[in-house]
Amino acid sequence: MSASKWAYNLSLFREYLGNYIKTRLTYRADFWVEVLSDLLFSAMNLVFIFVVFGHTPSLAGWSEAEVVFVYGYFMIPFGVFGTFFNLWNFSERYIVKGEMDRVLTRPAHSLVQIMLENVDPASLIGSLVGLAIMGSAWATLGLPFDWYDPLALLAMVIGSVLIYAGLYTALAAISFYSDAPTGIVPLMFNIQNYGRYPIQIYNKGIRFLLTWVLPFAFVGVYPASFFLDRHGDLEMSLLTPAVGVVVFAFGLFVWNRGVKRYRGAGS
Amino acid sequence: MLAIDVSDLRKQFKVQKNREGLKGALKDLFKREHTEVAAVKDISFQIPQGEICGYIGENGAGKSTTIKMLTGILVPTSGKILVNGYVPYKEREEFVRGIGVVFGQRSQLWWDIGVIESFRLLRKVYRVSEADFRARLDELVETLQLQELLNRPVRKLSLGQRMRCELVAALLHQPSILFLDEPTIGLDIVVKTEIREFLKKLNREHGTTILLTTHDLQDIEALCSRVIMLDDGRIIYDGGLDELKDRWGKGREVQFQFNDPVAIADLSRLTEGLEVRWSKENELTAKVWIPRELNVSEVLSRVVGTKDISDIKIFETNTDEIVREIYQSGSAAAPVGSVSP
Repeated sequence: MSASKWAYNLSLFREYLGNYIKTRLTYRADFWVEVLSDLLFSAMNLVFIFVVFGHTPSLAGWSEAEVVFVYGYFMIPFGVFGTFFNLWNFSERYIVKGEMDRVLTRPAHSLVQIMLENVDPASLIGSLVGLAIMGSAWATLGLPFDWYDPLALLAMVIGSVLIYAGLYTALAAISFYSDAPTGIVPLMFNIQNYGRYPIQIYNKGIRFLLTWVLPFAFVGVYPASFFLDRHGDLEMSLLTPAVGVVVFAFGLFVWNRGVKRYRGAGS
Repeated sequence: MLAIDVSDLRKQFKVQKNREGLKGALKDLFKREHTEVAAVKDISFQIPQGEICGYIGENGAGKSTTIKMLTGILVPTSGKILVNGYVPYKEREEFVRGIGVVFGQRSQLWWDIGVIESFRLLRKVYRVSEADFRARLDELVETLQLQELLNRPVRKLSLGQRMRCELVAALLHQPSILFLDEPTIGLDIVVKTEIREFLKKLNREHGTTILLTTHDLQDIEALCSRVIMLDDGRIIYDGGLDELKDRWGKGREVQFQFNDPVAIADLSRLTEGLEVRWSKENELTAKVWIPRELNVSEVLSRVVGTKDISDIKIFETNTDEIVREIYQSGSAAAPVGSVSP
């Protein structure tokens, strides 16, 4: 994408965000309910970790604080992803109801438009909470803080977001190929949950799946291990941005092909 | 220059066949059978710039599919399309900058925000400069009288109000071609007339090419100099509206209301030598059918001179009837028993 295209999409983002805020001001209660349910969901997952560690001091060599650290990291890209790739109702809204028609008559990339129309900044609060959890686990573990850590974190988060974005874009694009929405979404949802725990606790098959097939491990344990000296896996953690770019390119490719097969709904 | 140039355009859809019963459903699970259904079958037409063209046909005739291919939404199966010099589906983002689209059944506007906010967003999307936007908006708002509506959210507008806003939304970027899919569907007669007047003005003042599909033939009569009629994916008529009426409009009917009871035989005698047909509605009312080449006044003078008449009504065959008849025969080429000019 050229620089002017970026500037254009960015200006669109500002504009859509403005409208989002205006809409949300009309439905204020909705906004808070959403934030609250997001946070409750994360709190439940954390409680789960605490319960597990109530029974055992370590899991495959990972301490409680370390697992919490990984979970805190995971929340950051997940929140960013949720903000921009709110594609859950894509099939129903754009394919079945045919709103894709309208999107395709406008001069911006179709995926950009759909991302922007569904932008959901409420999810970003989850990222902030994740950052706080990670910070507190950082302190508990007494990890060193290097000058490049914030930059590394940024690169890792971008890579992780791209992985989620690519996989879910490809998933949404399946609706272009198949009439009936498939049961893949819940399946993905289950698999992605495995990514936020240390991969060492799983067997070989699942490890391979989470690393090379549906690389959810790059949205959790691998990038987080960059900061965890005791479990340092420098190679895998540094792969995160590259895997992100590859997966997103794949998602975009599937999407662009799918758009060409879009058949519209009704009359 | 041609605004739209289409040749041998075809669109096929793959349709899943669902086999019957539980056994069929199980078979479908493993091996799906597909059938190819052609919605548009190798059609060709050209529309020069500045023309208003009506695209009509029954439900499922392929109108919407054509429009969607012309606007870059659907990729054709085969054939050539050139709109504004672009192949729509290939350089979609560049191409759509020069066209405006209104789908009567779907909104272009954002549901929850004020109309003006939607317009501002579209200004950004189409990269219209603030000055151009202002000038254009003022002009459109004035012609369509939207001043009071601008700050209302779309969901609080009536259908007629919304439709006028949709038109503005589609025209903010000064497109040279406007596609309208059922623009007047569900509107009351006042709004319909307003919209027709507006479209005529747009075409006159800006030279905008307009292609519209409609079920309301009055739209066609009010706006279009040319009609393309589609049936089962094929073009069955492409030409002027007047020509269509000449060819198909078989004549007129005159209804007489008499003061005294009359007999058909009596009336037939009056118009002896003329190729007309009488029919009786009731004791006091009779209708006469007059072919196109015969002068109505000739029949009238013969009847009016001798009978005591309280009322006369003349019915022209309207476009609705013509179109219905064409569809029934399935072709506009050779109307059965008509008096061709």
